[in-house]
Amino acid sequence: MCIKNENLQKIENMKNITRKIIIGILAGIVSGLFSTGGGMIVVPALIYLLNMEDKKARGTSIFCILPMVITSGFFYYKSNYIDWNISILCAIGGMIGGYIGAKVLKKIPVQYLKIAFTIFLIYASYKMIFQ
Amino acid sequence: MIKILIGILSGIISGTGMGGGTILIFLLVYMLGIEQHIAQATNLIFFIPTSIIAIIINIKNKNIALQSAVLISIFGILGAIIGANISINIDVNILRKCFGIFLAIIAIHEIYTIIKWYKKQKTRDNKKSESEK
Repeated sequence: MCIKNENLQKIENMKNITRKIIIGILAGIVSGLFSTGGGMIVVPALIYLLNMEDKKARGTSIFCILPMVITSGFFYYKSNYIDWNISILCAIGGMIGGYIGAKVLKKIPVQYLKIAFTIFLIYASYKMIFQ
Repeated sequence: MIKILIGILSGIISGTGMGGGTILIFLLVYMLGIEQHIAQATNLIFFIPTSIIAIIINIKNKNIALQSAVLISIFGILGAIIGANISINIDVNILRKCFGIFLAIIAIHEIYTIIKWYKKQKTRDNKKSESEK
């Protein structure tokens, strides 16, 4: 009985490792291809496949995505796709916005933001595909 | 100036954990007419400083499962090498269409989570009104 449990534990561990490997490769490909969206794969995957709690999944996902972003950045850089003028201005704005967001957004219910974001996504995907 | 404003807007959205990057890329492509590859590269640079700050805060709050994170990262780098090389060698129009399809998939996922939340809310309300009776 005890041996059986040990074996089950081993199988479960192996499964989890395989899951992590697949999550990593998939998120990496998406991250490299579109430069965004890795988090949208890693966060739900950690929550549903590895039973991680929401907060920890978000923290872990940012940690995982940074190396992917740096790797992709290297290849984009080698192909001369980085426009430093635009990038630095946007990054400065991003830090200001991140600060504002952290302060202000707590007061707006997440569900309304989600609905607004979804409407944006539908509009943007339509424009990107058909125009 | 518009570039900073686009950055601010995307930064605010990023704070909610919903892809600020998708908005940044879309605005750069459609408001400023920037090529898709360059817009995506901009998003990569945009992500680095904010994410470093977020990682430091998360390490302090112990919100990172380090062992899982390292394993996912290693294979993530492998995936990123594949993804980035496909992206670089692909035609801009095809890349933009693929990006659009990707956004549509996320939209469907978001709709699914909204419906799930709404159903949960409804059953909770029903339980509440039953217990009040």
